[in-house]
Amino acid sequence: MKIRCVGVWVVLLAVTMVMIPGSRVTAAEPITLGCPLPTAFLYGWDAERAITLAVEEINAKGGVDVGGTQRPFKVEVMDTRDLEPGVPVSEALLAVEKLILEKKADFILGGPVRSEAALAAMPLLSKYKKVSIVSSGVLTPKYHALVEKQYDKFKYCFRIHGEAKWLVKEILTCLMQIKEKFGLNKLFIMVQDVAHARAAGKILGKLAKKKGWDVTGMEIYPTGTTDFSMGLIKAKKTGSQVLSLWMDMPESSILLKQWYDMKIPALPFGSTLAAAEQPGFWEATKGKGEYCLANVVNAGNAPSEATPWTMKFYNAYTDRWDIEPEGLGCSSSYTAVYVLKHAIERAGTIDPDAVVKALEKTDMMGPYGRVRFTAKGHQIIPSFDPKEGAVGTIFQWQDGKRVVVFPKSIATGEIQLPPWMKK
Amino acid sequence: MDILIYGTINSVALALMALGFALVYGISRVPNFAHGAIYVLSGFITWTFLRGLGLNYALSIFLTMLIIGIFGALLYQFILIRVRGIAISEIIASYAMGLAILEGLRWGGFKGMSYTLPVFAEGSILIGGIPVDYQRIIVVGIGGATVASLWLFTHYTRLGLALRGMAQDERAALMLGIDSDFMAVVAMAIGAMLAGLAGILLLPLGNIVVEAGYNVLILAIAVCIVGGLGSWMGAVLAAFIIGFAQILTVVYLGSHFQMVVALLAIIFTLILKPSGLFGMQKQLEERV
Repeated sequence: MKIRCVGVWVVLLAVTMVMIPGSRVTAAEPITLGCPLPTAFLYGWDAERAITLAVEEINAKGGVDVGGTQRPFKVEVMDTRDLEPGVPVSEALLAVEKLILEKKADFILGGPVRSEAALAAMPLLSKYKKVSIVSSGVLTPKYHALVEKQYDKFKYCFRIHGEAKWLVKEILTCLMQIKEKFGLNKLFIMVQDVAHARAAGKILGKLAKKKGWDVTGMEIYPTGTTDFSMGLIKAKKTGSQVLSLWMDMPESSILLKQWYDMKIPALPFGSTLAAAEQPGFWEATKGKGEYCLANVVNAGNAPSEATPWTMKFYNAYTDRWDIEPEGLGCSSSYTAVYVLKHAIERAGTIDPDAVVKALEKTDMMGPYGRVRFTAKGHQIIPSFDPKEGAVGTIFQWQDGKRVVVFPKSIATGEIQLPPWMKK
Repeated sequence: MDILIYGTINSVALALMALGFALVYGISRVPNFAHGAIYVLSGFITWTFLRGLGLNYALSIFLTMLIIGIFGALLYQFILIRVRGIAISEIIASYAMGLAILEGLRWGGFKGMSYTLPVFAEGSILIGGIPVDYQRIIVVGIGGATVASLWLFTHYTRLGLALRGMAQDERAALMLGIDSDFMAVVAMAIGAMLAGLAGILLLPLGNIVVEAGYNVLILAIAVCIVGGLGSWMGAVLAAFIIGFAQILTVVYLGSHFQMVVALLAIIFTLILKPSGLFGMQKQLEERV
């Protein structure tokens, strides 16, 4: 009898021990993160993977402390297809609205990724009072300019990665280093026929001229172009020494293969050059992409020691997905989840207005440096020094590896010229 | 010189992309809107044999051509034959198949830019001071050989003559004992193999991406409309017209007008000569 009694108590105790902590986590209502992303494209799936990784890490540690209650994050992803040619912006807007109304998203994270779609989604976010942090793609300076101009309406919109103007500044600074080191001064611009690339190409050309560069030409390619030979011949004929490439279409890898096969004596320098950003680029081009430079917007998307968290993130992503961080949406999407977590914890609620106030006060070290937003524009403050702000990354493919060459504060190697360019 | 070299390469590439579409339409009168999808599918099948199963490149290509030919035949036998003669249904059915293939590939994980096929020969040479890589020279060589083989096949073999007979007058061909449904199946198989050949030759120049399927379809349609729907010789001529026009546009106007050339060619052809250069109103014999 006594033994039986003890047995019952042991069983009851065991059940209670299992149930109590479990009920704490499972009973708490999850905070739903709605992620409108082009999942078939690099800038969509890299963001999805990074967000999932951050959410798994946070949930494993008990979730988010919302006014004393631990609540887990839950990720809801919806395909916006906004990077696909010919797909109207309305598709992305439908995805955002569906996430809000059907999936009951508490926050919107990640995208839409195409600038045009992200701009069009702003009034929706305002209408439903949903705090959003864009973390992949969306390079247009109009985004934060609109928030600044109509703060009361668009105060729910934040961007946690670098934008086009800053990118141009980074590229120009890097170009000046190339000019100084190698004596190159002839720039040929090749861009994809999309809004951000055309605008960036024009601005870069104008500013490069002011800095003493001879801009030898600018070619605009429709999405889906499969032959760049005539443009490359033009570059060669004009004696161009650097090719500035702004293309996120997959066909840009053809350009780099042609550049190699034709031995064009100009250094390829890409921005949003999705094909070259991926770790699989080396294998895909059989090494023909060597010496190509690519701007991946934020540190952490290529290996560096920008902050103690950079390689921690880099390795965690690699372990989780069996591939290194792949594109410009990785480290920023990962950071966005942590920034949101801390803001909710500081606010003690998920009320959008309170979270906006908390986000505005964000000041933490992330994988790509100090994370702070501008007061009214809600744009992450960039810097060349990770201690001061979000630091970017330009890497060069060298012997099968992505070697960070800019900015100097986090560089792990020096820019090299292809052998057929050396005098 | 650069215009001549790259104009020829571009033209032959366009001809390769369009030949299969033109042949299928010429014989069965079915506009195969799954043509672009078959082009991409052939790339992924070859990739799977080569990288996934580790087979030899030549064997991978051979198996791909075989599979893609059978696939084309089955596509006609089980789907398109049911709607044959109903123009709108043919377009919807074939386009739906194309979408299913392309989106199915994407759904199956074939996305991203890391799917590539190796070139047949590495390196490049200078022709008149203009650098040209070997793969492009091979494209021109095999493209020319394909056109010549197709001409010989349709003029000197029983099967080819039967196909021509059907293209010229299906009822007359039936009276002569030619099985029109079987011929259409054969045409579809050959058309699919031509799309596959184009994919295997052209995809090593870049990477295999689903989106290429849509672009190839647009270009094939443009070439066939200008050449005259159903006339594969017309398609070859149109490929050279559009191919050189594109290169001249890039040189003298700008690269971003390159795609407009193909679309403008469609518009002008439909306004000025809707039947195209060698269309139905021209001599029937020229169709095949």
